[in-house]
Amino acid sequence: MRREKPAVAVSCLLLVATIAVAIGIARGATTAKPAAERYLHVKVDGGAKGESVNVNVPLSMAEKILPTINHGDLHNGRVTISSADINDVDLHAILDAVRTAPDNEFVTVKSKEQDVRVAKSNGNLIIHVRDSGKESGKSGQKVDITVPMKVVDALFSTAKQNELDVAAAIRALGEAGETVLVTVQDAEQNVKIWIDSKSGAE
Amino acid sequence: MILLGKVGIGIVGSALAGAGIICSEGMISVNVETRQPEKHHVFVVAPAMLVPIAMHFIPKEHLAEHAHEIQPWLPTIRASLDALRESEDITFVEVKEPGHNVRVAKSGGSIVVDVNENDETVHVSTPIRAMSSAIEELAAASPAPTR
Repeated sequence: MRREKPAVAVSCLLLVATIAVAIGIARGATTAKPAAERYLHVKVDGGAKGESVNVNVPLSMAEKILPTINHGDLHNGRVTISSADINDVDLHAILDAVRTAPDNEFVTVKSKEQDVRVAKSNGNLIIHVRDSGKESGKSGQKVDITVPMKVVDALFSTAKQNELDVAAAIRALGEAGETVLVTVQDAEQNVKIWIDSKSGAE
Repeated sequence: MILLGKVGIGIVGSALAGAGIICSEGMISVNVETRQPEKHHVFVVAPAMLVPIAMHFIPKEHLAEHAHEIQPWLPTIRASLDALRESEDITFVEVKEPGHNVRVAKSGGSIVVDVNENDETVHVSTPIRAMSSAIEELAAASPAPTR
């Protein structure tokens, strides 16, 4: 009888362990999969030595960290713009006008040196800059910026005129889906900033 | 003889449990290899739990000074470490240029920094849990905010 006791105890332990593992597996199977993580990627290629820099940041991480930074003009995920920088321009009114306007080209500037185009298309604010580099004697540069309007809305979603809600903009970026935000191309370097669901830049 | 066996099992069990506790926060590894002008190789693997323990032995005034400096950034550091813990394995920064590569990544619960140069290779891996413990030790050494 004495010898049977350890065997019974071991059997009980095994049974408890098996039940625990089974519950764990069942929970894993039934738990809803969280929304796909989005990543902000920055890739810089080129340079005189042929360097490349890749930065990958999960947006959820940026979203959690940003509101904790209280330094300089950044407080609780919001950036305060000094009134001198705004120059008494009502940014909210301009944004409202852009939001309600149909898809259109708002600004087109063509010169010997530069072509600039600002437009709204398919829910995105688009800025194209083409610098020929003729006057400066440098090589030309192409800059393309695409910002989903939802992100612009989120950026200006604060009640204060002189604040930009960067944290809200990052949240909106995560919801906006896969998109290329910025590309800069010149003879020396290529810069690309984009959002997707892959953790690596490749 | 049976008693001796039981004592032996007790010692081995205690040693295993102790080793398990010490290694529970993972291991810090540092690997530095210098190729020029002289060949050096330093390889250290230490239980990460030793970091917060070692911090108990640092004089309080030294710790308080650093704790005071770090105080405004504690919420950011805590949020960063929490976010890092929850994040999947990822390369955060990678810089490549001829003869010089740097990589900062999260790998298996640790932050890994790799620097490869022509003359030198540095690899440092620190468990995030150990970083959190060390930061909390440092925070505890800080005088209470007078707000």
